[in-house]
Amino acid sequence: MHISEGILSTPVWVAGYAGAAALAAVTMRNMDMEEIPKISVITAVFFVASLIKVPLGPASIHLILNGLAGIVLGWRAFPAIMLGIILQAIIFGHGGITVIGINSIMLGGGALVAYMVWQLRHRFDIQRRELIFGALAGAVGTISSGIVLALALVTTGEAFNAIAATVLAAHIPIMFIEAVVVGVSAQFLSRVKPEILAGNTPGTGN
Amino acid sequence: MALDIDRYAHVGSAINRWDARFKLVSMGLVIVAIALLKTLPMALLALALATALLRVSNLPVKFISHGLSFVLIFLLPFFIVMPLSYPGEPAFTVLGLGFAWEGLRLASLIFIKALAIVMVSFAIFGSSRFDVSMLALQHLRCPKVVVQMLLFTYRYTFTFLDEMKRMHTSMLARGFVPRSDLRTLQVFGHFVGTLLVRSFERTERVYKAMLSKGYQGTLHSMVSFQSTPADYLKALLAIALAGALVAGDFSGLFSQAEHGWF
Repeated sequence: MHISEGILSTPVWVAGYAGAAALAAVTMRNMDMEEIPKISVITAVFFVASLIKVPLGPASIHLILNGLAGIVLGWRAFPAIMLGIILQAIIFGHGGITVIGINSIMLGGGALVAYMVWQLRHRFDIQRRELIFGALAGAVGTISSGIVLALALVTTGEAFNAIAATVLAAHIPIMFIEAVVVGVSAQFLSRVKPEILAGNTPGTGN
Repeated sequence: MALDIDRYAHVGSAINRWDARFKLVSMGLVIVAIALLKTLPMALLALALATALLRVSNLPVKFISHGLSFVLIFLLPFFIVMPLSYPGEPAFTVLGLGFAWEGLRLASLIFIKALAIVMVSFAIFGSSRFDVSMLALQHLRCPKVVVQMLLFTYRYTFTFLDEMKRMHTSMLARGFVPRSDLRTLQVFGHFVGTLLVRSFERTERVYKAMLSKGYQGTLHSMVSFQSTPADYLKALLAIALAGALVAGDFSGLFSQAEHGWF
């Protein structure tokens, strides 16, 4: 899910750039040299994985996986997603140059919220908590993005209210799909390679 | 799927020979100017200029039309939803829904602007090698870390695309049929997890290989930039056109959409 070029009013996309720059500055603090290749390579995986098509009735949808990015990269998910969005704008003309900021807040912000939800798992001592909190993170990541997208449309103008409502409604089935895929992935990773997951100890960043 | 935006960067043209630093800055201004437009005639003029720019760049039509098809698919619904949901008095009703010409005009404006901007960005990034564009960004004070990450991500995208295709093929060979059910989603969950584990292990190897070749946080390139008077001239022309578009838009000669934007 992206917002495309040409839709948003100038104040909205300019504010998007300002917000994304601020979030990027905060989430990229104290970044090690060693992290550069790691974040880049994982960004490439998410970029590629978002090309996977999942059949949904007669149509098919693409996976978003921003919740999983939050689970794997923690706060660094924001710069990673921003990179992905910049590349997507350059390579496909998907999204677009002026909406890089708002798209980063939309998907990257969702990843950050998903990470916060994911971290809550330490407070619960239940079976299959990686599956449950992974699924919650996947759902929250998707729906947060839908809300940001709808807000961006509504603040752009009254004429976009109907589109905003449609878009938000369309995120609900996507939310369930993302929840299952991200939950299963999180459980898989916690069994196979737990060190790949962010925040294995409560309270630490990465 | 061919993803490399610079696969026709070898095609010679005035845009291709343009110093990438000048190209990025002046074309960036053109994009901002188009994004600011609020009137249909000026948006149409911008679209005509973008078409001319692509003609000059000599990029194959097929390459461009493939890229533009994404924009078309995304924006087509606007032509249906906008006229039917536009606030205010509808001109007539279709199937019980009010149809407003203003909504159609707003949808057209969005569509034309988006098309023009994407065409200009294709002209920018399609006409230079990707590493040259990124190096130009670095010369323009874009943080080194960001440029490096963009280069790495771009490079590994193709590696993982191949990896994903191999994994997908083997999944199909084992009899997997994607359906709209829980089982399919679980399989995709494991698929993504496996892709992540493989890539994570690869990053460790990549990083060690980079260190052993002397990586210390900076990339060295054989590319150097040299500007000529022609580069300045092209930049001036582009900036003048961008200014003219915005000036025409603000002149008040053409009417703007009322409820659409501020």
